[in-house]
Amino acid sequence: MASIRLSAITKSFGDTQVLKGIDLAIEPGEFLTLVGPSGCGKSTLLRILAGLEAQSAGDVIIGGETINKVRAAERNLAMVFQSYALYPHMSVLQNMMTPLTLRDLSFRERLPFVGPLMAVGKYRALKERVAETAKILQIEDLLHRKPGQLSGGQRQRAALGRAMVRNPVAFLMDEPLSNLDAALRVHMRAELAELHRRLGTTFVYVTHDQAEALTMSDRMAVMMGGEILQLDSPDRVYSDPQDLRVASFVGSPKINCLPAEVDQEGRLSCLGLFLERRVLPQSDPKTVAIRPEHLVLISQDGQSRPSLSGTVTHKENLGAEVFLHLALADGAHRMILRAEAEQVHDTSLLSRIDIAFRPGRALIFGAKGERLRFLPERQEKAA
Amino acid sequence: MRGRLTPWWFAGPAVVLMVLILIAPIVIAALLSFTDYSLGNSGADWVGLKNYDRIVSRSSFEKMFIATFTYVGVVVPLSVGLGLGAALLINSLKRFGDFYKTIYFLPVMAALLAMAIVWEFTLHPTIGLINETLTLACGSWLESFAFFERGCARNFPLWLGDKDYAIWTVAFIGVWQGFGFTMVLYLAGLTSVPRELYQAAEMDGAKGGFDRFRLVTWPMLGPTTVFVVTIACIRSFQVFDTVEAFYPQGGGPSKSVYVMMFAIFEKGIQQNLIGLGSAVTVIFLTFVLFLTLVQRWLVERRVHYA
Repeated sequence: MASIRLSAITKSFGDTQVLKGIDLAIEPGEFLTLVGPSGCGKSTLLRILAGLEAQSAGDVIIGGETINKVRAAERNLAMVFQSYALYPHMSVLQNMMTPLTLRDLSFRERLPFVGPLMAVGKYRALKERVAETAKILQIEDLLHRKPGQLSGGQRQRAALGRAMVRNPVAFLMDEPLSNLDAALRVHMRAELAELHRRLGTTFVYVTHDQAEALTMSDRMAVMMGGEILQLDSPDRVYSDPQDLRVASFVGSPKINCLPAEVDQEGRLSCLGLFLERRVLPQSDPKTVAIRPEHLVLISQDGQSRPSLSGTVTHKENLGAEVFLHLALADGAHRMILRAEAEQVHDTSLLSRIDIAFRPGRALIFGAKGERLRFLPERQEKAA
Repeated sequence: MRGRLTPWWFAGPAVVLMVLILIAPIVIAALLSFTDYSLGNSGADWVGLKNYDRIVSRSSFEKMFIATFTYVGVVVPLSVGLGLGAALLINSLKRFGDFYKTIYFLPVMAALLAMAIVWEFTLHPTIGLINETLTLACGSWLESFAFFERGCARNFPLWLGDKDYAIWTVAFIGVWQGFGFTMVLYLAGLTSVPRELYQAAEMDGAKGGFDRFRLVTWPMLGPTTVFVVTIACIRSFQVFDTVEAFYPQGGGPSKSVYVMMFAIFEKGIQQNLIGLGSAVTVIFLTFVLFLTLVQRWLVERRVHYA
């Protein structure tokens, strides 16, 4: 197993720069996800790593060797395409054999009809390798069907099989689940993660779906506008985003954003609601962001507690939990709150409710979207 | 209007037209092929299979089959092969693609009758461009080839007037005229090959152009190829205008270019032997029908993958 490093990769198409100096080190055996909205350059980055596209500048280094000039066919990487790109005229078996025959057999041994007769032993060995892979993916029954006779999920497996069969340095996957229906996508998420644990090979996975990135990866790189905004474990990216764009891209429903004000003593408020913790007075936070699950409903039992009030405009019922969409009393802001179903079953549309922040959960961001920190609690007391 | 007759009102016009224009003439031709009818005669006698018997036994019809199948056998593979080659080359160009497309397509657009006259001059045995050019090689090392040795000692081939060369020369003109058309069809076919398949082939380790061609291009062009071959076959069976332009007297030197369409024209129109002409027509239609059936079978069974 080898480590993969991308160093100062840039890519321009004409005047538009789609990658602005990407540095990325991928550990051997890790599941790394490149996630971002469409057009952020994630697919281009993957294709540069694969060798299907040439970078404008920068180096691709695999196992300590700079391979800028090495063509895709010789990089020993395998790719699963969004459309699967199976050869439609070949059976699944032949599709999975192709990478093996192209690499392991000579030109003469690859000739149709004559080749298999000349190298009977080699062909048998290759077929065994295909059979082993097919067993892992549970597609043994499908080996003699053509891609046109397979369902979406089966094609997906066949494409995975073609990638797996020759033990590549890494698997590159370009939105492999986006052509599947929702239920199958959730199922394949678990299956891919399990496959990764089982094989122990490096996976580089491109997706625009933050849920896929959160559920499967060891580390995820959130990309936007040709840059990596944050590269971290899914936990950290979700709970400790370094940039407002990361915070709003990751997590569904979206994180709630409210304008922030800070007074002389560093006390922070949003829409008149003061937060418990302080910031340095000279720092200039512009946005307070809080996840839907970190908002709490305050029951109107007369207990006074600092709160925001709003009107329920929409109730999204997901069974176990409910998303309440609120229009805040100031008329300009909307928020989403995640609550347990039984907590809100008597809350009706257009009713007024009060909400508060869970202590210590709010995140604050500066004018350029950079993450700001609260003062440590000890210092606060001193002040 | 709502009733059991409604569907007939919708299908009626098309059915009537099809019967009038397609089916009735074919049935009439088939019936006439069993008679000795001539235009102007008040009646005709039923002669059974006599017309077909003449076609099978007469030597001029044997020559017809030889000429027709030689022409088809040369023109179809060459125009398909050259068309595919030209399409692949043009497709690989970054610039000037349109320029070459136009050049190769010009013969298709040109009036074949006019082009035949040009070719007649070019291939003229003494003052033609071809033989004049060949004469230039006399005295050089090229004379060590038997062809030049013979040509320089006596004379170069008469081309259109030579019974050994005539059908090949006409076939050559057929290829020259036809491969631009197959090229355009292949260019259209090439645009529909998914680019991701080439990338998948590259990732799978296909390094050379030949591997890519075998793995992706050729299979993905399967439907196009079936269509192109069928069209080229039918067009070659139909060859008439070059033959008529070069040999208005009938069939070329010792009938070596006596192709099927020309036979129909000569027997049915020039000699007013409608019965015999119809019999050749029926045989011609049988070939075309057979080709079409083969095409349908191939398209359904072999080359449509999805």
